[in-house]
Amino acid sequence: MALEMMMSGPDYMRDPRKHQFSPYANNGGTSVAIAGDDFVMIASDTRLSRGFNIFSREQDKVFPLTPKTMMASSGCWADVLTLNKVLQARLTMYSHEHHDMMSTTAVAQLLSTMLYWRRFFPYYVSNILAGIDEEGKGVVYHYDPVGHMEKLTFSATGESVSQIQPLLDNQIGGLNMLGVKPPTMTKDLARQLIHDAFVSAAERDINTGDGIIIHTITKDGKTEETVKLRRD
Amino acid sequence: MALEAINGVSRYHSKLDDLGEEMVIPEIGNLKNQYQLCTPDLPKSECQIGEFLIDETGRKIKLNYAHGTTTLGFKFNGGVVMAVDSRATSGQYIGSGNVKKIIEINPYLLGTMAGGAADCTYWERVLAKQCRIYELRNRERISVAAASKLLANMVYQYKGYGLSMGVMIAGWDKKGPGLYYVDNNGNRMPGNVFSVGSGSIYAYGVLDSGYRSDMSDTEAQELGRRAIYHATHRDAYSGGVVRVYHIKEDGWTKITEEDSKDLHYKYAEEKTKRSQ
Amino acid sequence: MSILNYNGGCVVAMKGKNCVAIACDLRFGVQSQTITTDFERVFELGPQLYIGLPGLATDTQTVYQRLQFRIKMYEMREGRRMKPQTLMAMAQNLLYERRFGPYFVEPVIAGLHPSTKEPYICALDLIGCPCEPADFVVSGTCSESLYGMCETTWREDMEPEDLFECISQSLVNAFDRDALSGWGAVVHIIEHDKVTTRYLKCRQD
Repeated sequence: MALEMMMSGPDYMRDPRKHQFSPYANNGGTSVAIAGDDFVMIASDTRLSRGFNIFSREQDKVFPLTPKTMMASSGCWADVLTLNKVLQARLTMYSHEHHDMMSTTAVAQLLSTMLYWRRFFPYYVSNILAGIDEEGKGVVYHYDPVGHMEKLTFSATGESVSQIQPLLDNQIGGLNMLGVKPPTMTKDLARQLIHDAFVSAAERDINTGDGIIIHTITKDGKTEETVKLRRD
Repeated sequence: MALEAINGVSRYHSKLDDLGEEMVIPEIGNLKNQYQLCTPDLPKSECQIGEFLIDETGRKIKLNYAHGTTTLGFKFNGGVVMAVDSRATSGQYIGSGNVKKIIEINPYLLGTMAGGAADCTYWERVLAKQCRIYELRNRERISVAAASKLLANMVYQYKGYGLSMGVMIAGWDKKGPGLYYVDNNGNRMPGNVFSVGSGSIYAYGVLDSGYRSDMSDTEAQELGRRAIYHATHRDAYSGGVVRVYHIKEDGWTKITEEDSKDLHYKYAEEKTKRSQ
Repeated sequence: MSILNYNGGCVVAMKGKNCVAIACDLRFGVQSQTITTDFERVFELGPQLYIGLPGLATDTQTVYQRLQFRIKMYEMREGRRMKPQTLMAMAQNLLYERRFGPYFVEPVIAGLHPSTKEPYICALDLIGCPCEPADFVVSGTCSESLYGMCETTWREDMEPEDLFECISQSLVNAFDRDALSGWGAVVHIIEHDKVTTRYLKCRQD
């Protein structure tokens, strides 16, 4: 303190200083979800990082919500955990009140409203919600941090979104493929695409890597599979 | 009305309404009262998105979604035509090319979306609820003027907090076709021709040169479509699917949803045919 | 917004079996406003030597003209065609001369060795640091998307036709997710006996 005062004079002589309030951290992470006619697959990488540091190599970023829905979120890990905690509480209250699980469409709208609640101090999270809807079909919902949602059949989000999304557009959406019909989605194809997408993202993005956990939801239940990625 | 008075249902909500003791999880106040959003203990000016959105490495966090847009709406003798693009961008990255920027409030009312996508969808959803409640209470449909005023009053309560929306509310009521512009500053004005968004300058060019009040329905729809198409071509932040809606006495109908790529090559073909 | 993204545009180059490909988009814009959609940023500098100059459009033109001048001087003095490796060194020199007031372009070089016909690709940053990988190079406003596409579609030893399909799909799908580039694309496939130039039909928004 004394040294500081000698260097720059007493504190009342100094210019007023504005302190930056920076409550967010970017903990990386990428998620992909692909829906089929009777299933939905949702996957995320397992690296948790900040800047050049790796906090964990085996952090699953996909959270189970109901037997038919899962949510992948990445961004600021503190916000991810808080959002998930509050959402879980809401879902539990709902199931106690109605003696039934919330439908996927209802969870999707609830998540949007909850994200908008923090419109002026947002959760810094990128979310994808995947589930089986009332008709037994797979659906994917994509969110922005303040709760704008969009219903899709496939989506990527998180750190490497710009590397993965064009590939999915091309391979699943059939964009820019003249005379080629988009493929009907099967579990094998979805798994293969998710794998390829993450391998290429891990190749170029330092915040994505280590492994992938692929969750599959069908009307019969959920399965999980772990795939290794490069760890450098 | 009488039952309402006995049960003490409040007619006019505001964000300051007490949440009551029932609230178990304070985290989600807007599920009880949609007007009540979480406001951090910070000066109003710092609540604006972007002010403190910096992560610890000093990198600016990108949050804003769907900022570039072209939307338009105009009244003519045959009703109201509304047309929109469907691109949502965050920075230069195209987040989505298939956003529904016309929000169907009810069979007689439409709202458009420009600015923050979440802001528009959230508040127009709240508006849809209020319009339905109005119908149930008063046994008649809400007028376009009243609906747009409800929306303007809602966003006015959050003036200065950094909401970002420029919307058009259009519909058909007792007075005939109605078209209002409402934005996040609390502006609300009726008009015949509006276009909102980053591509609006291009859309206005087409719209003003082709607008007549005695257009036929197909002419009017084609004018809206063309205006949006030209805006998607020139404006980097507009694009995707061009959607056209038409509101008449019996409510709105969706006219077309065409990819601007198909439109471009269709128009190009017509142009070469004409010049031959 | 970075000055490198002011006018938009991107370039990608790939190696194949005894051939190379280089492709670019055609947009020239000023931030969000699209001015023209026929602005080629890949230039022919020799029979089998191409350079792509994405970045600030004024510097694209300046750097191209200066390089052209220096290449002509070189070829007159030496009496032989320039190797792609030499062009890289020349571009490096030109860019580093402006170390503290750089040209805002990040060049991509693709070509075949004039005598051995060895394929060569290379990317430089705006002050001339080279990168010479064995597979592909990308540069411009949608480089991240291009990396994602190329990383999955590129394979070793592609024939010219496969290489064309690979580079076209990579480029078009990448810039369809980028607001600042697109509006058409041009692809050059460089083989030892011929160069094929094709224009792609693209989205115009």
